[in-house]
Amino acid sequence: MKTVDLEGLTIGVLAPLLKKKQISPLEITKNYLERIARLNPQLNAYLAMAEDDALAAAKKAEKEIRHGKYRGPLHGIPLSIKDNIATKGVITTAGSKILADWVPDHDATVVERLKAAGAIILGKTNMHEWAKGSNSINPFYGTPLNPWDTTRIPGGSSSGSAVAVAANLCLGSIGTDSAGSVRNPASLCGTVGLKPTFGRISSFGGVAGTGGYTVNHFGILTRTVRDCALVLNQTAGYDPKDPLSSDVPIMNYTKTLGAPVKGMKIGIIKGYFDQCITNEVRQAFDEALKALKKLGMKPEEIEIPHMDLIPAAQAASTRPEANSDHDHYLRTRPRDYSPGLLYSLIAGLLTPAPVYVHAQRVRRLICQEFDDAFKSVQIIVAPTIFSPAPTIDDCNRGYIEADGKRINLQDRAGNFLTRYTIPFNVTGLPDMSICCGFSSGGLPIGMQIVAPPFREDLVFQVASAYDGVTEWHKRNPPL
Amino acid sequence: MKDAVRRLNEEYQFKLTDKEIDLVAQQAEEAALLFKPLFEVNVDGITPLTKVDKRERQILAPKKGKK
Repeated sequence: MKTVDLEGLTIGVLAPLLKKKQISPLEITKNYLERIARLNPQLNAYLAMAEDDALAAAKKAEKEIRHGKYRGPLHGIPLSIKDNIATKGVITTAGSKILADWVPDHDATVVERLKAAGAIILGKTNMHEWAKGSNSINPFYGTPLNPWDTTRIPGGSSSGSAVAVAANLCLGSIGTDSAGSVRNPASLCGTVGLKPTFGRISSFGGVAGTGGYTVNHFGILTRTVRDCALVLNQTAGYDPKDPLSSDVPIMNYTKTLGAPVKGMKIGIIKGYFDQCITNEVRQAFDEALKALKKLGMKPEEIEIPHMDLIPAAQAASTRPEANSDHDHYLRTRPRDYSPGLLYSLIAGLLTPAPVYVHAQRVRRLICQEFDDAFKSVQIIVAPTIFSPAPTIDDCNRGYIEADGKRINLQDRAGNFLTRYTIPFNVTGLPDMSICCGFSSGGLPIGMQIVAPPFREDLVFQVASAYDGVTEWHKRNPPL
Repeated sequence: MKDAVRRLNEEYQFKLTDKEIDLVAQQAEEAALLFKPLFEVNVDGITPLTKVDKRERQILAPKKGKK
């Protein structure tokens, strides 16, 4: 058997070695568990480990592969799951005090599908309390730290997932995203983060109250675009247990990897993504656009007339939807929420029903405007976040200082860390964040690639073309 | 808004302090201001969004603009 260096390892590299029996699933799982034991006390990426189950699954995978029963590219691959996704027999807290002892008696559909594909679930990853925030400063389980600079936040709410992937503590992770919670930490930690089209991956088994019903998506974090496609292949598709899941046929998402992008038109939305953007992010994004142009893509400015209403539509949707699941705990255990979350949940109770319904009508209008835009371009690109990762101190005081000015992290319209990602929660469009550069301080910067509904194939095509001519995704954090 | 927060405080038994009531009321007032522009959009004939399936999107109403 070969020995493998976990630094920079990918599913795409490991899977063929497992298939050819050159690597043992049991050995690789043990290697990851050892690495987690060594680095997790420093990074706080995992909330709970599923060591016994992982070793048992690895032994089973080894036996099956040895006997020629290879299930596919995820067979024997160690992955992690965000802690607001149900895992049978493994604690699922949603980063909250209220669910501190909850052990589900069932698996979420996505977990069920990964297990059926032979994946090894290593454990549950840390997150922002109830997924209701993006700095992941968690008073109950500690704050996951950015592996590129441990004084900084990793983003969130799927923070532990991004840290685990970036720090090579697993080969991929499943997160959830109702405002940017997969793409935001992917951007700040330099990983790939995919929020597929609304309904593309079943949300059955997501902890209620960790995302609004109509804006929440399950998503995937991996080191490479190819790995992301491999995981989507196993997790996408209709689920009768989730009434919001879609029956639009799935594709083989690896098919468009490496396909030429010459002649494709890229939409650039002016204005909205200029809000508070820092010079370093602007420069990285401009360089990324140059790389896409070199590949033969043609940038074109597009207009979304009601773009300015997106923060209002997002807030008016997500607050009442998520609040409905908190009513019981608000009545029985209000002081088991952190104070900040308790106040915002109570304020959310005061959202009038007509505001909610009106917001859904405005959302349809905005979706139509995006549909119109996609008549003239195939893809939209935008920066993922206005700045590289803020420090924990920045988040505690509520602002960052960049380019000689103070930029608040929050305003009336909500959280600036998710301002650039919420348009694609409001519209449900498929969106991937990939690394498009590094700041002068060595922090990753992300770019979003957005396609029409259910055209994840286009997202993969463009992302893989970009990765093919850049090296950003090959860097490892200095651990 | 403070009265509305006080009513909730009583109904849910939050046991909020006066300072906390002020904080929540301020947040709710900010949210009300944020939501106001939504009502400046003409959404006559547009039904609420529920799903983003292609089938669902094909029944979009005629395009409407700001009032």
